[in-house]
Amino acid sequence: MDQNTRTQVGGTGDPRDGLEAVVALRRLLEALEAAQVENAFIAGWSWAQIAEVLGVSKQAVHKKHARRIKDRYPGEPPRRKGRGA
Amino acid sequence: MFNRFTDKSRKSVQAAFEEARMLGHDSVGDEDLLLGILRVEEGVAAEALSSLGVTLEDAREESEEMLSDALSSIGISLEEIRREAGDAFEMRIPTHRRLPLSPRAKNVLVGARKEMRRLGDNYLGTEHVLLGILSNEDGTAVSILVSMGVSTEALEDRLFKLRGRAAG
Repeated sequence: MDQNTRTQVGGTGDPRDGLEAVVALRRLLEALEAAQVENAFIAGWSWAQIAEVLGVSKQAVHKKHARRIKDRYPGEPPRRKGRGA
Repeated sequence: MFNRFTDKSRKSVQAAFEEARMLGHDSVGDEDLLLGILRVEEGVAAEALSSLGVTLEDAREESEEMLSDALSSIGISLEEIRREAGDAFEMRIPTHRRLPLSPRAKNVLVGARKEMRRLGDNYLGTEHVLLGILSNEDGTAVSILVSMGVSTEALEDRLFKLRGRAAG
C-alpha cells in the first residue's frame, strides 16, 4: 500500500477517515476475539486460561463467549483434552 | 417506537436489526435500515429501490466493502484475516447480544415521522423511512446508494410516483 494513501489512524488527517477506521477495527476486533476464544476453547483451554491471557476475569470471558460457542456447537463442542491445566 | 408504523415498515425496521447482526454492526445503522427495507421486499420504498436496480445482495456487498476499505486504509486485509482465522471467524454478532439503534438510525426514524407529518399522512410507511434515510446526507446509507450509482433525487422522484398509486 502506498504510504500516501494510508489513513493515519493515530494521526491528524481527515477525522472522518480516522474515526471510520476505528469503527472498522472495533468490528474486526470483536470478530477476531470471538474466533480466537473459540479456537482456544476447542483446543482444550479452560476459561480461566483464556481469561488470563486476555487479561480479563474468567466471569467476563465466559459471559461474553460461552453462549456463542454453545450455539455454534449444539451438544458438546469437539474439545481436545486439557492443555495441561 | 412503532407508533403509527404500517406492518411493512415495522417489519423492515425489525429486519434491519437482523441485517446489522449478520454484518457485525454493533449498532443498527442507517444503512441497516436501508437493508431492512430491501430484505422485506414489501412496500413502496422497496419497489422504488428495486425499480432503480438496487438489490439486497449488492447493498450488502457495498456495506461489506466499506468495512474492508476502511481496514485496508490502515493496512489491514480483511480477506487475509478471514483466510487465516478459519471457520471460527465470522462478523456475525451473537444472538444474545442486544443491538441498539445508532444515533444516525434514530435520526432517520425521527425524520421519517417528520416526513409523515409533512405529507399529511396518518401512517408511517416504508416510504417515510426511506425519505428519512435520504435526508441523512452524511449517512452511510446515502454513500452506499451513491456508490451503487443511484441518485437520491431520482429515488425520491420514483418514490413519489409510486406513492401516487399505493401507500405503505
